[in-house]
Amino acid sequence: MTGGPRRVTLIEVVRKPERLKALQDRDWEHILEQAERARLLGRLVADIDRHQAARHASRWLTDRLASARALSRESERAVAWEVGRLSRAFIELPCRWVLLKGAAYVAAGLPPAAGRRVADIDVLVPHEHLDRAEAALKEQGWGFPELSDYDTKYYRDWMHELPPMVHDVRGSIIDLHHTILPRTARLHVDAGVLLERAVAAGSTHVLCPTHMVLHGAVHLFHDGEIAGAVRDLVDLDGLLRLFPTVEPDFFDRLAADAMELGLQRPLFYALRYANRLLGTPVPPTAWVALAPARPSAAMLGLMDGLVERTLEESRGPVAHLSAFGLYVRSHWLRMPPLLLARHLAHKAIAR
Amino acid sequence: MTVGELPARDIRRALTGPGLVLQLGPFSVRVTSDFDGLRHYLTSHYEAFPVLDQPGVHFSMQVQPTPGLRRYVRPQAQFKVNGLAPFTRVPVRLAHGLFEWGLNWCVGTTSHQWLVVHSAVVEKNGLAALLPAAPGSGKSTLCAALAFSGWRLMSDEFALIDPASGDLIALPRPISLKGQSIDVMAARVPELRFGPVLTDFDTITARHVAPPRGAVNSQHVRARAAWVIVPKWNAGAPLSLEPTGRARMLAHLADSSFNYNLVGPAGFDRLAEIVDASDCFTLTYSELDDALDCFEQLSGSATSRGAGAVREL
Repeated sequence: MTGGPRRVTLIEVVRKPERLKALQDRDWEHILEQAERARLLGRLVADIDRHQAARHASRWLTDRLASARALSRESERAVAWEVGRLSRAFIELPCRWVLLKGAAYVAAGLPPAAGRRVADIDVLVPHEHLDRAEAALKEQGWGFPELSDYDTKYYRDWMHELPPMVHDVRGSIIDLHHTILPRTARLHVDAGVLLERAVAAGSTHVLCPTHMVLHGAVHLFHDGEIAGAVRDLVDLDGLLRLFPTVEPDFFDRLAADAMELGLQRPLFYALRYANRLLGTPVPPTAWVALAPARPSAAMLGLMDGLVERTLEESRGPVAHLSAFGLYVRSHWLRMPPLLLARHLAHKAIAR
Repeated sequence: MTVGELPARDIRRALTGPGLVLQLGPFSVRVTSDFDGLRHYLTSHYEAFPVLDQPGVHFSMQVQPTPGLRRYVRPQAQFKVNGLAPFTRVPVRLAHGLFEWGLNWCVGTTSHQWLVVHSAVVEKNGLAALLPAAPGSGKSTLCAALAFSGWRLMSDEFALIDPASGDLIALPRPISLKGQSIDVMAARVPELRFGPVLTDFDTITARHVAPPRGAVNSQHVRARAAWVIVPKWNAGAPLSLEPTGRARMLAHLADSSFNYNLVGPAGFDRLAEIVDASDCFTLTYSELDDALDCFEQLSGSATSRGAGAVREL
């Protein structure tokens, strides 16, 4: 971004929503655009409403906010409905099933639920009951739209989830997971522990607080989609501010659980960037506990550069390059090198 | 200041620079584009629309060449709005179509401050007729014929309903005519201004007709619904105007809505009020003139009834 006055960034207003009150029309359009791209528009509107930051807004802004509000409201209703349908579909499932990410935040009423538009509902079931869960969903109208053979193979052989299942009438999408990391990834997470310690939320279950944060941390840089990284960080920020107020020893247990699951490195990165970009409070003891997972200074410098450039500026050639670097890295973590080369080549040609 | 009053070089400068900002019905729309084809189209088909000077808009649109080498080899046009790119790219000759489809996408999927129903709307004497219909039913042809024979064009594509008041909001954009309708309308109304031919993916030819100037000049004027009429063009069929049950029409309107579920209870209430206050029909016709006569009669009887009501007050 060269020339012209420096523009307010999305991260700045997420970090300090009070700043929303000082925005001019030009800034507003820019912020809404960034928020839409980061899938944080609903959240931004919730912040705007909480701070009454758009009381004397121009017509176009009032309209855009009203439209965004309607989408969030409908998403909230739809998620509640779909979770009810899931309970019905899984009534004979001989095991626990656990909501993940967006649907879990909504079901448990956690901070990231504010204004959240949940596009697909992520559900974790034990691997040994995956087939039964899939069959149960099919019986209730969910199915697989046509996928290329390559995509089917990609999901079935390499991933930690089935291809998205789409409902034939309502179009709602379920992602059925049997763990939280791809089968081909370097890290392996014991999904049994996650399922066992899941906690009740209404008529369903969600991951326990430490596991929820760890899942968010894994999702942050292992997911191929860097566009979602800002939102992942914002989610983590909301959770990391709330949980210690409920459980004073939260960060100690978080570090211990990260060690148990072998997820210290992803947690280290998540805490680092949540803290650096959003000011998420992280107690010194947590840094000490995670010190063994700290990458080398050179690696850390590289990651800092990639992440902060990608997240702070949403466009521009530097951000694009950084995003591509993170994209390749996220796949690097998901797949062995030869497989990665094949996958990227396939995606490049198929595009 | 309207597009037509703006010197050509200012239009070009705006489109290739900071953007040309238009008032289209209740929406402010900023367009940036390097394509001459789209510039010519906007200059002719959006001639009567006001040009705005404001920093923020409802829809900030870019219709631009795809970057990189594709700019030189079989160049394509891509559409972006408010930072999103919802469509695949299309050949450059379809750039103006991309603008219209893009605008449809914006209204249909990002304008939930209004209840949006897939329907044409025309108005006379303050009373509006909604024409909700499936594609291929001849809705646009009938709408165009009405728009050029004494009815005010409020919208060819979208009925915008204010969820607070139930008022109909006008959005008198160019009308998209397809296939034979193009020749039919060209013969009926010689002064019609047609846009370049769009060959759609399913090889249906479409051309946009510029809206009547009067309709654009009164785009800020709202109206109340008085009729809901489902038109059905049927080759050789005699004219028939069948009353349709209000409950069924309510369900039909809800089905035809893009965001009925999003607007919530107010959406149901307003649609119910609209069918309550309207005469509801299914109109089958094969001759446009018969259909126009039928609309004339409806309008005439409503006006005399309305005049009677005023006297009773």
